[in-house]
Amino acid sequence: MGKVLKDVVCSFCGCLCDNLEIAVENGKINPVSRACKVSISRFVNYNKDRVPYPMIREKGGLVKTSLDEAINKAAEILSRANWPLIYGLSSSVCEAHRKCVELAELVGGVIDQTATVCHAPTILAFQEIGEIHATLGEIKNRSDLVIFWGCNPLDAHLNHFVRYSVTPKGLYISKGRKDRTVVAVDVRETRTTRVADIFLRIEPGKDYELLSVLRALINGKEIDLDKVAGVSMEEIRELAEKMVNCRYGVIFFGLGLTMSRGKHYNVMAALSLVRDLNKKTRFVIIPMRGHYNVKGAGVVLGWQTGYPFAVDFSRGYPRYGPGEFSAVNLLANGEVDAALILAADPAANFPVSASKHLARIPTVVIDPKISMTSLIADVVIPSAVSGIEAEGTAYRMDGVPIRLRKIIDPEPGVLADSEVLQLIIDRVKGVR
Amino acid sequence: METLDVVLITGRTDKQGVTLEIGKTSMDYYESVAVVELNEEDAEKLGLNENQPVKVETENGAVIVRCKYSKSVKPGLAFMPYGPWTSLLMTHNTEGISMPSYKGVKAKITPQEEKMKVLTIEEILDQFIRG
Ligand code: SF4
Repeated sequence: MGKVLKDVVCSFCGCLCDNLEIAVENGKINPVSRACKVSISRFVNYNKDRVPYPMIREKGGLVKTSLDEAINKAAEILSRANWPLIYGLSSSVCEAHRKCVELAELVGGVIDQTATVCHAPTILAFQEIGEIHATLGEIKNRSDLVIFWGCNPLDAHLNHFVRYSVTPKGLYISKGRKDRTVVAVDVRETRTTRVADIFLRIEPGKDYELLSVLRALINGKEIDLDKVAGVSMEEIRELAEKMVNCRYGVIFFGLGLTMSRGKHYNVMAALSLVRDLNKKTRFVIIPMRGHYNVKGAGVVLGWQTGYPFAVDFSRGYPRYGPGEFSAVNLLANGEVDAALILAADPAANFPVSASKHLARIPTVVIDPKISMTSLIADVVIPSAVSGIEAEGTAYRMDGVPIRLRKIIDPEPGVLADSEVLQLIIDRVKGVR
Repeated sequence: METLDVVLITGRTDKQGVTLEIGKTSMDYYESVAVVELNEEDAEKLGLNENQPVKVETENGAVIVRCKYSKSVKPGLAFMPYGPWTSLLMTHNTEGISMPSYKGVKAKITPQEEKMKVLTIEEILDQFIRG
């Protein structure tokens, strides 16, 4: 076995586990310990399905070109456009996000990030109600009631249970799992609901009702119903009592709340419940963020433009417009006339009506790997995998910034995302 | 052919995460993401075998994927991993807040003959997105 590196950070999901042991030998990476199975796949396959060289579209097909040519073409597309869209960001590092903001301002475009199609409703609800927050370290050390609402960490954030929320022993949680009550609220049975102490199976689209009834109960109101959202009042009363009587409760919530009917209203109901619980005990609430640096994208946009997503620069100053300057809306309405996609794959995830427009307009993709979007792009520029071939800063789901390390050199000539963006910025400045 | 009304939920699975890192154009990704999970009772009602192609149809589109039996969804519910196949079924209407509804969407399930093909990513691009 080659050199074993300690405390390597995994740049896949919002858990940003920073305790991995990774062996590097002859250009191969092998996780030795603590990586979850998705992470193992990420490290072992980091060099598969890569964008092999810079490419531009000629006569319908993508052909090999030089980096210089690709940068020229990208700069030309963005400077010629009336209203370009810069989108993605969350699977890249904060250094690249800053460059994206600079570029958006320079070309008078819109910048949006993937939160727009996952936790946008959460961000809107935070702006409305506020957020009672803690780090995952605090949860590990103190939390005796852990509620997973509309999320399934055992499929999506595989180490969350063992590192932060369920099994670890903490300062005030001396027996680990035994000292915590775990509750899951979901519309379907999942790995997470199966290991929870209490599972409330809720009817789809009824989260708002259940959250509101819980809030009424903890505020001492009488409820004259047998069932709410498909859950018996007896079970709901039992949960309300557990919430009020715990020492330190936490709700982790996922797209089950944000993507279902009600969206930001669901999250507002959850935030209000947690706010009211703090009159009785200590309670916090944390969204389960998916991509490893989607939190960072919101942080960087927030500090650079004042707004966390859907920001337009066409008037020379930042304007915020969820639902108006959001990627899905702009594409589906055919409003933007060029796009730069950094480390994201809208063609695979957006409603097909939005992707169609993306295929019509000139699109630049910066990505280490082949994505569906790269297959419809006009310029594809390969980049180094952040956290493996390039360093940088990322924000964990609880807002803790963590430095990603470079553990292996990229192929010669392959640059980090931020370096590619800097070249495009320089070229745009030269072109104009 | 008999059709069943369901509520469609999309979400992440660990297999999807693992195969994503192998590559979006890989067979592994195709096999683990181009599927719909149905309750056994529902599948039996439709006379569906495990892995048989089914059409999932919403107001916005239709797609053929393979059926998986599942105990985790109750009758009347269907689950699909997010990805290119679900993107064919979703509306771009974001109700003014930037995000389309990806969960809790009304859908119809219709069994298909074994010879009906599940589209690959390339085919989805060609038939629905390009041109
Ligand atoms: S839980 Fe997430 S960050 Fe941690 S090792 Fe797994 S994929 Fe990586």
